[in-house]
Amino acid sequence: MKIVAFLILLVNFMFANSLTELLQEYKDNSANSLKTVDEKIGNVIVYSQKELLLMQHNKLSDVLKELPLLNLNKNRYGVSTPSLATTKATLSGFFRLYINDQEVSSIHSQSFATSWGEMPLDFVDYIEVYYGDSSFSLGSETGIYFIRVYTKSASKENSTELKTIFSNNNSLSQSLTHSDVFTNDWSYLLFLNQNTIKDENSYKNQKLKNDMKSRYFYLDLTNDTTKINLSYVDIKKDNYMGLSNDVVPQQGEIKAQDYFINFSKHLLEDKSIKIGASYAINSREHQEQDEELVPIPSANGNTLKEYEENLKFTKSTGYISKELNLGSHKLLASFHIKNKTYKIKNSKIVTSRNTKKETTYSFTFEDELKINNDFMLIGNLKYDKYKRDDYLKDENEEMYRIGFIYTPFSNFGIKSFYTKTYLPPTFYNVDFISKSNKNIKTQHYKFLVTEAAFTTEKSKLGIIYHNVKVDDFLYYLNHPFVPGFINIDHQIQTEGLMFNYKYNISDQNDITINYYMTKTSEKSNNTEDGGYIKFMGRDASFEYFASIIYKEGYSFKPDGTNHVVVDDSFDLNLGATYYYTKDLSFSLKGENLLKESTESLFFDGETKKNFSLNDFGRTLSLSVKWVF
Amino acid sequence: MGILMKNLILIIVLFSLSYADTYTFLVNKYDKEMELESKIIKKIAKISVKQKVVLFIPKITKNEMKFYSKLFTLSNSCEEANFIFVKKNIGNINLCKNKPGKLYFTNNYKKLLNNKDYFGAFFWSKSRPNIVFIKKRLDKMLISLPNTYQQFVEDI
Repeated sequence: MKIVAFLILLVNFMFANSLTELLQEYKDNSANSLKTVDEKIGNVIVYSQKELLLMQHNKLSDVLKELPLLNLNKNRYGVSTPSLATTKATLSGFFRLYINDQEVSSIHSQSFATSWGEMPLDFVDYIEVYYGDSSFSLGSETGIYFIRVYTKSASKENSTELKTIFSNNNSLSQSLTHSDVFTNDWSYLLFLNQNTIKDENSYKNQKLKNDMKSRYFYLDLTNDTTKINLSYVDIKKDNYMGLSNDVVPQQGEIKAQDYFINFSKHLLEDKSIKIGASYAINSREHQEQDEELVPIPSANGNTLKEYEENLKFTKSTGYISKELNLGSHKLLASFHIKNKTYKIKNSKIVTSRNTKKETTYSFTFEDELKINNDFMLIGNLKYDKYKRDDYLKDENEEMYRIGFIYTPFSNFGIKSFYTKTYLPPTFYNVDFISKSNKNIKTQHYKFLVTEAAFTTEKSKLGIIYHNVKVDDFLYYLNHPFVPGFINIDHQIQTEGLMFNYKYNISDQNDITINYYMTKTSEKSNNTEDGGYIKFMGRDASFEYFASIIYKEGYSFKPDGTNHVVVDDSFDLNLGATYYYTKDLSFSLKGENLLKESTESLFFDGETKKNFSLNDFGRTLSLSVKWVF
Repeated sequence: MGILMKNLILIIVLFSLSYADTYTFLVNKYDKEMELESKIIKKIAKISVKQKVVLFIPKITKNEMKFYSKLFTLSNSCEEANFIFVKKNIGNINLCKNKPGKLYFTNNYKKLLNNKDYFGAFFWSKSRPNIVFIKKRLDKMLISLPNTYQQFVEDI
């Protein structure tokens, strides 16, 4: 027994952390960004502060293009837009993007891509991506993918950071992040950024211009219980193909401005009550001219040569939630109210001058029942009441979710959720509704997601199966006479399997391998299978990464027009960062080095043919970061 | 010998599990940061206080209590404590102004600079955790730190 006691003492002595080691462990642990992960919300992928830094993810699209079970393609307006695997959408409403507590998707289309897709990540601490409807605990917006962006904490930054990124295509990004902590424990973080993105493509030996200028402002004011966020985004860009019938427009421009203020506060000593309110404004300007524009619903079959709109949207929200522990039950109840308005300041397309309004009242309830230490049952209910102007009828919708998390062994767990949810029509859907589908319907989703995880000391293997059934799927039909959104009259099904394996080669180096396969009951017009291998690490003064993102090729075989074959995509990215001092670093990054980009499908109204174009070219960039 | 081997294997298994970097599902709130914070404060308190450390954290939360109580004897009031760690805004910190023999530590560098009652701080700066002790205050409070801690001492 004495020998055992001696061995314990010896082990303790050997591994007793010095203060310096503890500080390093504390820092490393914080960079893993696991503090807010909520396994009960859905199947989660975390882009930690460590990963964002090592992989040199400078903007949100760097993360989006890697995400499994989705495709990131350029739409007609040159905006990189996420779509669910097997599909390609011009504007997708399946993805909800949160910046802290604020959901920032467009009030018009529910797509975040135009304003936030190229959002710089210098002020971002980490990102959680949830697959599955999580609107039960994340507010009143429904969706399929929930991307939660957490901004850096001023109390952890407590510094000023300057960063500049130069690219070989003459793109330039400049950022300033400043944070400070006061003696009364309030802190603030200010972020300013301006970007000039140079981008173009070619079609029929003519240039498709896609230059963009953007400016971002973000302010976070925080103390122990209160958070106030203010934001402003300003986008001005070329229209790429725009609505040109022959794909190459004569002239066009898109402008977007987004503002929001968000306030949240925890009440009571245990912070079990949370209240919040927000107000957001979106302004959109879009104008273009061409000899002939593509048919749009409001043109009533006439040929348009000019498109112009100036729209303004507002969204105000308020909520209160309460958590309560009752024995083995952990209960959460909340009430949300949301009001959206849509005002047409000027439009040559949509003729209605009335302001459209939609008010939503939502009540949610969650019960988390811990049967024992290994087994947990989760149930969610949500009731939404929509009050609208006469542009759409009032509706009541219910959502529910049941699931469990079972971890019979410390290194093995399984969890599964069955969800019934929906996506209501957006203002954009209503603007572009097909004349043949006047009674636009809400899309209803039922999906099952099951995940098994197996871990060893150094590795984790996750396998995820999903099965989704959609009724009244809303789809934009490029019809020459009655174009616009229609509800598909039959049920759509998709299912898929994903494998994710992460191995910690050493404390500072790890490799992740991901592969997914999907299939759909419909004709695919995008990649079905894909995956990635990524390696990242650091050593003394260097950080480095390598990744290859694979998207399988496919054949697009529509009825009545030509077929298009799209090759496999191998997006090879390499990068390294050198720390000249702890506070001054230089980074070099190469993207799409094999020039094997993903491709997007389009239709040429002049030749009546489908074709594909590369989504992005090869880029080399150099960045300098100075912290003081 | 068999018992010795069993115990040895048990120690190795427990040790390897406690240092495992991976997790299956994070069913409970991830609190590793709080655990490490309490360990760091334990190191500082132990080296600074001559007697047994009795810790007081004003406005302590249940979660903080969970971790700090594993390493410290916690006090509900300033009077009975000999080490006070101020993490939140509590207005005037001089809770035990007239009672000597108490050491004040904070997590706010500005508070450390502005209030001479604090002898040190554990805070973040430039995305890195830092510890700073002020030399004059250490000398005045008769705190002697080992050589390995001199890297944290500033002559402000």
